[in-house]
Amino acid sequence: MNRRTAITQVAAMLGGAFSAPTLLAMKRWEDYEQSPSFGTDFTLTENQKLIVAEVAEMIIPKTATPGAKDVGVPAFIVMMLQDCYKTPEHKSFLEGLGNLEKKQFLNLNTEQKTTVLKQVENDSVEEMKAYQVQQTKMGDNEDREQMAAQAKGLPFWRLIKELTMLGYFTSEQGIKSSFEYVPIPGKLEMIQMKPNQKSFAY
Amino acid sequence: MNLNLKSDKAHTFDAIVVGSGMTGGMAAKELTEKGLQVLMIERGREVKHIEDYDTATKGPWEFEHRGRVSIHSAEEYWANNRFGTLANEETGPFFTDDKQNPYIEKRPFDWIRAYHTGGKSMHWGRQSYRMNRQDFEANAKEGIAIDWPIRYEDLEPWYTHVEKFVGISGQAEGWEVLPDGHYLPAMPMSAPERYFRETMMKKLKRPVTIGRVANLTRPQPWHTDLGRASCQYRSKCARGCPYGGYYSSLSGSIPAARKTNRLTVLHDTIASEVIYDEKTHRAKGVRVINQHTMAVEEFFAKIIFLNAGSMNTAALLLNSKSNRFPTGLGNDSDQVGRNIMDHHLGVGANATVEGFENDYIFGQRPNALYIPRFRNWGTDKKDFLRGYGYQGGASKSDWKRGITMNGFGASFKEDMSRPGTWTMGFGGFGEILPDPSNRMFLDKDKKDKWGIPLIVFDAAFGENELAMRKDMMASAVEMLEVAGFKNVTGFNRSDTHPGLGIHDMGTARMGKDPKNSVLNKFNQVHACKNVFVTDGAAMVSSACVNPSITYMAMTARAADYAVAELKRQNL
Repeated sequence: MNRRTAITQVAAMLGGAFSAPTLLAMKRWEDYEQSPSFGTDFTLTENQKLIVAEVAEMIIPKTATPGAKDVGVPAFIVMMLQDCYKTPEHKSFLEGLGNLEKKQFLNLNTEQKTTVLKQVENDSVEEMKAYQVQQTKMGDNEDREQMAAQAKGLPFWRLIKELTMLGYFTSEQGIKSSFEYVPIPGKLEMIQMKPNQKSFAY
Repeated sequence: MNLNLKSDKAHTFDAIVVGSGMTGGMAAKELTEKGLQVLMIERGREVKHIEDYDTATKGPWEFEHRGRVSIHSAEEYWANNRFGTLANEETGPFFTDDKQNPYIEKRPFDWIRAYHTGGKSMHWGRQSYRMNRQDFEANAKEGIAIDWPIRYEDLEPWYTHVEKFVGISGQAEGWEVLPDGHYLPAMPMSAPERYFRETMMKKLKRPVTIGRVANLTRPQPWHTDLGRASCQYRSKCARGCPYGGYYSSLSGSIPAARKTNRLTVLHDTIASEVIYDEKTHRAKGVRVINQHTMAVEEFFAKIIFLNAGSMNTAALLLNSKSNRFPTGLGNDSDQVGRNIMDHHLGVGANATVEGFENDYIFGQRPNALYIPRFRNWGTDKKDFLRGYGYQGGASKSDWKRGITMNGFGASFKEDMSRPGTWTMGFGGFGEILPDPSNRMFLDKDKKDKWGIPLIVFDAAFGENELAMRKDMMASAVEMLEVAGFKNVTGFNRSDTHPGLGIHDMGTARMGKDPKNSVLNKFNQVHACKNVFVTDGAAMVSSACVNPSITYMAMTARAADYAVAELKRQNL
């Protein structure tokens, strides 16, 4: 949000120096700032942020390759929750964090943390059943996940795991250290897997 | 009326083309190549080929929300967003802000628009199939709506003409249901797909082929002359291709038209009405509004091609009122805006594939398999009319599989860096029957910011479509099961409406009789012969194949006829 506020302030200072589309975009950011539906009220305490970072790192730890914290996943998760999710998800996410706070998550040892997260994971398997998640095809290039509408937001575990993976496996370091990154394949070939074949990423 | 009075001469052309998308581009190319001075009017901003493809070569990490749509964008693009991730940062700039360009839904209509140079050709699905002989005869045979005034043979040479220019990769199969065209080398099928094709042919006698797609697998000299190169298999077409690897008006028809030095393009210019001349019984030009300055101007031409996109073309006709046409230009039959068709989708099945562990794919194929219609074809008879095709295929799962499976930690992370198992799925595209009560009209009071009446949509799927959808899901399940795949799951989305196929059509149909149709067999407005409509609005029935190549063939044919009629001094 800071960047956006800064842009708007700069715009105010410079007045007419901006093109119509830019000003329009800024006007939209202003609307964005003011409109209640955007859920910008979603904030975390410092302690909660530490838990998010810890859980993300446990999902994708630093090994021979960077981990979730190395590539900025914790901040990404918060930004995504603010920008792309609404109140029901904010609530369920905070509920999940509250649950970990009660368990003194940050004070547990690694083994205990793993046990707690496994329990959270298993509970969410049951919770997810209500959503009847389905992969659907919309033409040949567009796959969509369809879910039954629920009053309750997606479970905490699903949110943090999905956003951790998305944040990590689409980050530059995450892509280049995990996959064979081929932005311009130049050809299309049906091949046989090599030993230890990594996924191609494009 | 605040007319900007430049000299009439500077405002006079041989032809005006309204729209720069799939058919507007083709109309401009054909007319300029035949020697006409053409003015192309585009309501949206200018997008320059290659230069303005801002997101084309970005890495995944360069998109703030990594391909997801923010709540903010979802509200701005409230209609686009119904399709999927169109409004994300990769492609959002090339779709229309629905908040700024509202429309009214008496019944839900998923209207996907792209107001800029090239229109929706910039991010079309590129699947290019000819309609078959029976598609043109079905209405007459079954007593549905009205008969097409043309047959397959009328379009055949024009299919050839546009296929060669566009450049379509595919496999000729010799099937009557899917007439062969002129194809560049086909893209390969993966191992599970080859197995699937063989099994379907053998066990169900159902045809399966590789998609016929407008990507260059082997560019021809006339492609490279326009600066187009071979597909690089990035499969990021919808962002715009810096190689010109896929066909769009931006990579193909507009550069070809510019080469003639006879094309003038106006951007940010909204055509508000066609001006009818009561004395000559012809249209004399088009009134336009600049979308930024609101300045109103008039442009004049001997012939006018309307290619604004089916719904906007109909809206333009409805908004062009005169003493002769009090309810809109060419609307003597009251058919303008009626018979909205599309292809219904969001129904099919998915499965997991065991085996083929050692098979993998290098490169991203911007294409899928195609299963042409088999329903109500030959000896097959169902309790609904017409049929559907499927698009889909096999892919090897990537890290995203991890989202829904249990696991976390070091070994999970390691596992996610490797390909998973194969999955296979198909989604159907079903024919929609024409129905005069599926319509759009102009709102009496509400106007957009340019003072043009808002479009009201009043259309829905009928019994035939709903019955067909059940069969589409069941047949997809059946095929995947017959192939021996596992975890076969059918889907039939109930949250789709007309429009979502982005093949909206039928609002100014061709026909033999001016009493029940808007256009004649050469796409001329029956009672105003120098106005041609050659976008999807002209369609009499929808068939179940992706329609763009048919629209383009129709456009080239109409342009040829228009120029011949000009020479004969009939226009």
